[in-house]
Order: sequence, then structure tokens, then C-alpha cells
Amino acid sequence: MKLKLSINQQFYNTHIDGDESLLDVLRNLGFKSVKKGCDTGACGVCSILINGEPTLSCQFLAARAEGKKITTVEGLGAKADKIVKAIINEGADQCGYCGPSLVLTIYAMKKELKDPTVDKIKHFLAGNLCRCSGYEGQLRGIKKYMGVK
Amino acid sequence: MRFDKFIRPDNLQTALKYLQKDKDAVILGGNTFLRLSERKYTLGIDISNLKLDYIKESKEDIEIGAFTSLRTIETDPIINKYFSELLPESVKHLIGVQFRNNATIGGAIYSRLGFSEINTALLVLDCELEFEDHGRISFNDFISSPKIKRDILTKIIVKKQKGKSTYTMMRNANSDFSILSVAVSNFGYINIAVGNRPALAKLPEKAMKLINSDNSKLDETADLVAEELSFGDDLRAKSSYRKLITSVLVNRALRKVLL
Ligand SMILES: Cc1cc2nc3c(=O)[nH]c(=O)nc-3n(C[C@H](O)[C@H](O)[C@H](O)COP(=O)(O)OP(=O)(O)OC[C@H]3O[C@@H](n4cnc5c(N)ncnc54)[C@H](O)[C@@H]3O)c2cc1C
Repeated sequence: MKLKLSINQQFYNTHIDGDESLLDVLRNLGFKSVKKGCDTGACGVCSILINGEPTLSCQFLAARAEGKKITTVEGLGAKADKIVKAIINEGADQCGYCGPSLVLTIYAMKKELKDPTVDKIKHFLAGNLCRCSGYEGQLRGIKKYMGVK
Repeated sequence: MRFDKFIRPDNLQTALKYLQKDKDAVILGGNTFLRLSERKYTLGIDISNLKLDYIKESKEDIEIGAFTSLRTIETDPIINKYFSELLPESVKHLIGVQFRNNATIGGAIYSRLGFSEINTALLVLDCELEFEDHGRISFNDFISSPKIKRDILTKIIVKKQKGKSTYTMMRNANSDFSILSVAVSNFGYINIAVGNRPALAKLPEKAMKLINSDNSKLDETADLVAEELSFGDDLRAKSSYRKLITSVLVNRALRKVLL
């Protein structure tokens, strides 16, 4: 079927199968920052923003995405830099595979949490698994970015 | 899961017609559980255009559209006003925000999964389900007998009641399935539900009779729940362990609503 997607404020016309995941469609369109990890909804590396909400693109049907605003980390541009820097400054970037999805989720979290605390941050990011950082360094950087002591 | 054709009807009657015409058609909820199945369908019926994503409060009830996400259940002010310790608690450990933004309450209920935590929580409420074809049925009846097939769940109707309700569970690791879930409500009558046994949530009738006849019999009731219900083994926990945990969690939950 034909599909018109709005990705990072640009329109893309493409052809998809009705049962294709948005993850596969985005990667086929060249958005390789969107990673394919477990492909079962458990790891979080395929997270993108749909109308500003963090969403697993492996579960989200591409056919359902028409008319929605899709944001990948490429679309955050300079807004991503501050988050990336906060994590790098703590030496917590490591392999980087979970990085794009983490940056997007942190960006959405900053917008949503009016009164952030360490517990609220941990809860919001529970779906972003990282197999190398051990989370401590990431958390130090994220706390600084969020202005939490 | 694969399907050949995708349709997005804009009204319930059309969606139901397609579902009932073709035995290999499937309703697409948040697609979180469905997509893991190996099954191939002819038709995927998208219900995202049916305006089933809402939470409304009336004088007596709260109505939840079946396409409402579990994340909305967690954060919605109306749900939090009446059942903050129960419904949001039953979904907030499910993987992560980005998963709960996809998963819907309708999908969780309709699939009648033995590990579904929100189903444990809903069982202690005065709750009805509305299906497009079948009409209304109590949540308890739906969970205990799978007689509704090839229908669309449209809304969940929860009676607003004064009193306390609470949810607690135990899981081996964050984002894993829980190995036991317990919900207790006290709206004048005390209801207890235990799920993830690992089977569908159930109300232990004898234990509920005991605690409702004498509110001081907390310890005896908690032990009786563990005796009354059956438990199974899986890779996460043995039945003997689940049984032990049951009395502890039920005891804690009863204290929260009674003391
Ligand atoms: C990796 C993973 C981890 C999980 N962990 C947990 C956990 O820790 N705790 C927990 O409680 N649950 C857990 N779940 C279950 C989760 O709650 C369900 O997957 C989810 O709620 C299903 O909702 P959905 O909208 O995605 O349904 P779908 O996957 O879209 O559909 C599920 C079934 O319901 C049908 N359906 C959907 N909506 C309707 C409707 N309105 N009317 C009629 N039929 C409908 C579909 O046809 C399908 O048969 C987990 C699932 C996964 C995949």
C-alpha cells in the first residue's frame, strides 16, 4: 500500500506491506539511528517519538503512522547535542547502540516531567536497556541534564 | 504475526462486519502481544480510527475506551483520583513508557493472559465490559469464561466507589513478568484477587467470606487465600514459592485497605 509519512518535519512517500512495522520502514528509508534489537518490545532501542510520545517502533504498524509526526534522533538536531554531551561527559556513551533511543526518551522526559526526581527519571527510562554502561554513568549525566541533584 | 490486507474502518459496525465475515481476520489493538504470534491472518482490522481512546467520568462511573493506552491508565487524573493505588500501580512496571504508549487496555483484557496484571486489578472493582455485538458483561464473567468470540470490546465501565483499593506484585527483575499479583479493595465489602499464579486472576471466595465476616482475621485470611487457590510452576517460580508469597502479599494488601 502507498504511505505518506511525516518524519522529522519532512514528508516521505513510500510503499509498504500492511503488516510492516514502522521500525522496518524507517530503516528502509535510511533512518539507521532507529535500531533493531530484540524485536519483541522488550529492549527499547527502536524507540522513536510519535506526536512527541516515546513509542516502540517495532510494535507500531507503519500503516498506522500516516498523519502522525514521527521524530527520530536525526530530527532533534542541536537539541540532541546537550543530552549527548551530558552522557559523554560522564564516560557513559560506551558502544552507543542504545544511544539514539535513549536521547529521544530523555528529550521527551524533560518535556513531560515537571518536577523530576531520581526515582521519576529511573521510572521513565526503565524501558531503555543498556548492556554496557551499567546505568550509573548515564544516570549521573541525565541527572545533570535534568537539573536533579 | 502477518496479515495480507490492512483496513482502518471509521465506524464500529463496519469493523465488526469485517471481523465476523472472515474467520481469519484479526482486530489490531496496540499490536504488542499479537505481533509475537506466528499466525498468519488474511485481514488486519485497525481500530485506531474508532474513537475508542478516552476516559470519561459520569456521576456514577468511569468509562474507559478500549483503545486507551496503558500509559494513559497510569497517568490519567480521573483514574488517579479514584484508584491511584490500584490501576496505575498494576501497569507501571510493564516494560517501559514506550511500550505502555502502544499497549491498550482492550488488548490486555481481550487476550485474557495469565500474566496480565491489570486484569488482577480490575477483578476487585465493580466493572463491566461492553462489546459491540454481545453488549454488556461483567468483567468477572468475561475473565472466567471465554464465551465471547469474534467481537470488539468497546469500553470498560468502572463503578466509582468510596473506599480503598491497592495492588501489589512480585517480579524477579524489572521489566520481567511478575510471578504473582495481588489486588484488594474495600468499598464496604472486601474483594481479593490473585493473578500471575501463573494463570488468570481469580477471587478466593472462601477467604473473602472469612475477612468480610471478621475484619480482624487478616493473618488467617491471607493463609486461606494461599490454601484455596491453585498455583503452577514456570521458569520464573515454583508453585510452592508462589503459595508462600501469596500469603505475604495478601496480608500486606489487606493491611493497606483495612488499617
Ligand atoms: C514483551 C512483553 C512483556 C509484557 N509484560 C507484561 C507485564 O509485565 N505485565 C502485564 O500485565 N502484561 C505484560 N504484557 C502483556 C501486555 O499487557 C499485552 O501485550 C498488551 O496489553 C496487549 O495489548 P495490545 O493493545 O497490544 O493488544 P494486541 O497485541 O493488539 O491484541 C491482543 C489480542 O486482543 C485482541 N484485541 C485487541 N484489542 C481488542 C478490542 N478492542 N476488541 C477485541 N479484541 C481486541 C487482538 O485481536 C488480539 O487477539 C507483556 C507483553 C509483551 C509482548
